[in-house]
Amino acid sequence: MEEKTRNKINETKLGFWKWAIGSVIFRLILIYFPKNFNLSSRPEVSTPVTSLRRLAEGYWLKQLSMSPYAGSMYHGSPLLLSVLGPLTAIKIEGQPNHLLCSLVSVIADFICALLIRATGRILQKAHGQNLKSLGLDTMLEDIEILPSGDIAALVYLWNPFTIFTCVGYNTSPVENLFAVLSLYGASSGIVPLAAFGWVIASHLSLYPVVLVIPVILLLGYCPDMPPRKLFLQRNLQKTGDERSTKSHIQHRPLTNKPAEATFFWWRVILFFLWASIWIAYVLILSAISVKEYGGLPEMFKRTYGFILTVKDLSPNIGVLWYFFAEVFDFFRNFFLIVFHVNILFMLLPLAIRLNHRPCFLAFVYLAISSMLKSYPSVGDSALYLGLMALFVNELADMQFSFFLFCGYVGVSLLSPVMHNLWIWRGTGNANFYFATAMAYACFQRKGEDSHPKCKFQMHANH
Amino acid sequence: MDVLFKSAAVLISIFLLLFCNAIPSVAYSSSSTMHTNNWAVLVCTSRFWFNYRHMANTLSLYRTVKRLGIPDERIILMLADDMACNARNKYPAQVFNNENHRLNLYGDNVEVDYRGYEVTVENFMRVLTGRHETAVPRSKRLLSDEGSHILLYMTGHGGDEFLKFQDSEELQSHDLADAVKQMKEKRRFKELLIMVDTCQAATLFSQLQSPGVLAIGSSMKGENSYSHHLDSDVGVSVVDRFTFYTLAYFERLNMYDNASLSSLFNSYNPNLLMSTAYYRTDLYGRQLEEVPVTNFFGSVMETIHTDSPYRAFSGKYSKIEIPLDQSDEVKQRRLKSSDVPQELTGSNITGKHVTCPVTRTWNAILGRIGMMKELDSLVNYGLILMFLIATGSSWFSS
Repeated sequence: MEEKTRNKINETKLGFWKWAIGSVIFRLILIYFPKNFNLSSRPEVSTPVTSLRRLAEGYWLKQLSMSPYAGSMYHGSPLLLSVLGPLTAIKIEGQPNHLLCSLVSVIADFICALLIRATGRILQKAHGQNLKSLGLDTMLEDIEILPSGDIAALVYLWNPFTIFTCVGYNTSPVENLFAVLSLYGASSGIVPLAAFGWVIASHLSLYPVVLVIPVILLLGYCPDMPPRKLFLQRNLQKTGDERSTKSHIQHRPLTNKPAEATFFWWRVILFFLWASIWIAYVLILSAISVKEYGGLPEMFKRTYGFILTVKDLSPNIGVLWYFFAEVFDFFRNFFLIVFHVNILFMLLPLAIRLNHRPCFLAFVYLAISSMLKSYPSVGDSALYLGLMALFVNELADMQFSFFLFCGYVGVSLLSPVMHNLWIWRGTGNANFYFATAMAYACFQRKGEDSHPKCKFQMHANH
Repeated sequence: MDVLFKSAAVLISIFLLLFCNAIPSVAYSSSSTMHTNNWAVLVCTSRFWFNYRHMANTLSLYRTVKRLGIPDERIILMLADDMACNARNKYPAQVFNNENHRLNLYGDNVEVDYRGYEVTVENFMRVLTGRHETAVPRSKRLLSDEGSHILLYMTGHGGDEFLKFQDSEELQSHDLADAVKQMKEKRRFKELLIMVDTCQAATLFSQLQSPGVLAIGSSMKGENSYSHHLDSDVGVSVVDRFTFYTLAYFERLNMYDNASLSSLFNSYNPNLLMSTAYYRTDLYGRQLEEVPVTNFFGSVMETIHTDSPYRAFSGKYSKIEIPLDQSDEVKQRRLKSSDVPQELTGSNITGKHVTCPVTRTWNAILGRIGMMKELDSLVNYGLILMFLIATGSSWFSS
């Protein structure tokens, strides 16, 4: 009861709906500016796998009864082509050409923000319950806990990266929507929704497939439980004195096992069942869609094969294009494996370490994949920056926050400048642009590292 | 940890599904050679002012061949001496092949590849066989391939089984036959037409044995080839008879004419030539009535018309009709275009040998579904149904 009134107070103080509607109106105003400020042609915003102009090209090819993948322009899902394709072709008189697709992006952003807000609320409730079960609910009255869901949703909506992505005529808002949908479904325990979101998100762009681990953990455990150690310590503490668990505690032999950490196997099995149903459904629909043009193997080769083999080496804010432009053909496959395993090998250790905080694990996975994926864009960072704000209560302890903030701002300003110097004026070269890409990756890495939850886990054993 | 192993197993099974369906795409390329380009090697082997007519012969043929479409990049012109800027030339920078001086053969667009003392037997053999020093530039090389038709025209002073180069050395008929044999071995031509305008020209190609070679000479063994007329203004004979009547034949034609080689060869009148124009076709596979002269003397490239800007999956290309001059004798002879084989640019479901049984059953299912028309609307209904199921199931589960 106290929490609900507190939340309501915070809501009225924050004015979530006011700001949310404001951001939607702001986006709508920006859409009407001529030619999206040319954002759709910026390599930071639209990549070969997310650009809507390529989708329009693929749709046009399909209308001419040719394979949408001919000519190596479109590399996305055929289902997205069926949904968004007609929208790119419909032109309303007196309105800009890109209006309908941009409206779809705005709606996707808004729904995504609402889902983040709902996820944040569930997390906060679970956190409160956990603290209560630990006997620490006295803490709730003392300190002020910010409504992380609202703040995260607002951060997501008002993040300049998200606005660029929304106005920049690409499909990242839709992909982000489905990733967040899977997280929301998992944290609220709605298994079919989690499976649906996960399957569609990984179908649209390959990398959300790593979210299967946090989703399983969310479904199996409750969202964001403190580690078992704390429950052990609680048990020890009951036999010992009344001290805060955050300080160092003497090591005593364990007498009883913790009873709180149960893993709901049946939910995970149900998740896999639903996931296989959705996978089969999506594959059947895609197969029907591309039957004339080479079938599923061709689709896999052109979508996932394209992402994994990094065929297009046009510059973006990632780190793969520069390397693969100069690697010898003999070593190309080896280095492809190295770069992709770079993401994969981090999954297991992080999962072991953070298996009791699946939402945070999802945020870390998304941050890693957005840093090391083959065609990153600012849309990916928009997603994980929004999710980072879910843990805003711990962000107060974050080190280097000002440094990181300035770093992000600096990189976002310098990156188009270096691109201009390199490509348009010819006074720079690729190293200029790649330097900003590397700096961006470094800031992302530093951001994850210095997150207090990470630090807390590292030092928990000492 | 079990969770992770399970998820890893799911991922592995998904990847196995992907690889089971991966059919390597096989590109199917044509194996039979197609006539793709035309080359001309025009050789004048005589020097000195009184051999003006040999220069004029070669330049006339050069002009004809360029007019009918072969570009300079595919013409090797070898002139043993310089008549246009000779001190004895009354009309500097001009070379005529007729006393009416109607045509200036030297014009402003003549590219001579081998000039003066570079025209030797050794260089001629190197051009034919392609065995050059590394420093020889591309413009001096015969860069033909297995789809080329080559016209080899030689003029100068010749005799029984030889052709005189520069008044100092000779090219013998067995040397020429050797060179042609090497060319055939190295697949440097698809068809070769040798045209010789010298005395006793037919003996020069008597030793040839390579298939795909057609040869015509201006005179037979024991006969001389004569010049056509003397230009009293220039002071020397300006053209030889054989070449004169060849040019008379070609001046009537343009690039799109369908005149055949047999009509060219039959146009030579022994009375007018004062020799017998002898040609040998025993090494040549095709009937002369079917071969248009532009196969050697011009360059009419076959255009393959395609409707799609991209390489689509339907590989058969349609051909356009080249505009024909509808003269009487031409109606019987149509341009035969060689067939372009069907290209399979990717994995084709119907025509491939599929090994994976999963894919076979999959294709069978798809085949039955494919009977239904309007796949697009089916996909759209499927998507709507998917969203309905998602919302419904999540509603019930919450």
